[in-house]
Amino acid sequence: MGDGVGAVFAALADPSRRTIVERLALAGRATPTELARVLPMTRQAVAKHLATLEHAGLVRARREGRHTVYRPDPAPLRDAGAWLDRVGAEWDERLAALARHVGQPPQAAP
Amino acid sequence: MQIEREIVLPIPREEAWEALTEPERLEEWFANDVELDAVPGGEGVFEWDNGEVRHAVVESIEELERLVLRWDDDGTVELELVEHPAGTLVHVRETAPEWGIALELHASAAWATA
Repeated sequence: MGDGVGAVFAALADPSRRTIVERLALAGRATPTELARVLPMTRQAVAKHLATLEHAGLVRARREGRHTVYRPDPAPLRDAGAWLDRVGAEWDERLAALARHVGQPPQAAP
Repeated sequence: MQIEREIVLPIPREEAWEALTEPERLEEWFANDVELDAVPGGEGVFEWDNGEVRHAVVESIEELERLVLRWDDDGTVELELVEHPAGTLVHVRETAPEWGIALELHASAAWATA
């Protein structure tokens, strides 16, 4: 597993951060203050979670006047999907090799 | 979330079990260099020619039935053998606990159009 995908999974392992991501996905954009108003968290807690999510690449921050506005970024989840595809392809290859391996006639004893 | 694959091998279950659990047999199909202590809690090291190395621990093992390995990234691989008219069916299931969360979000329409 690459570090990027690992950071994504680690960021999403926390229920509060999943709630923030879902809320951002629905709203399209929000400030920490707006999120704290609708979620059972303090603005400070929201800001801390947003920093973790930003580090994982799941949200993007942009300064707008006096506010920092956050938007969701689905790109890292597409990476996670690509990782699943890769693991599936690995197993296809391995099982084909296994079939070839056991399909071979036993070698004659020396 | 998990990845599942099945294959039917034209060999008896005992022989299929050897192909899944003996290091020198695993080197024929799973990885290029394999160390595996096929006992509960036993350690495994799988190396590929591209330089990739993965470490695992035998989470559970039932002779001729099932082998479960836990990778050091916390994903698991379960290899299960089932009797089949044409030989032995091998069922593979690779899982990681966090996948479900990621894909659940991925499937959200609002998220996809964000």
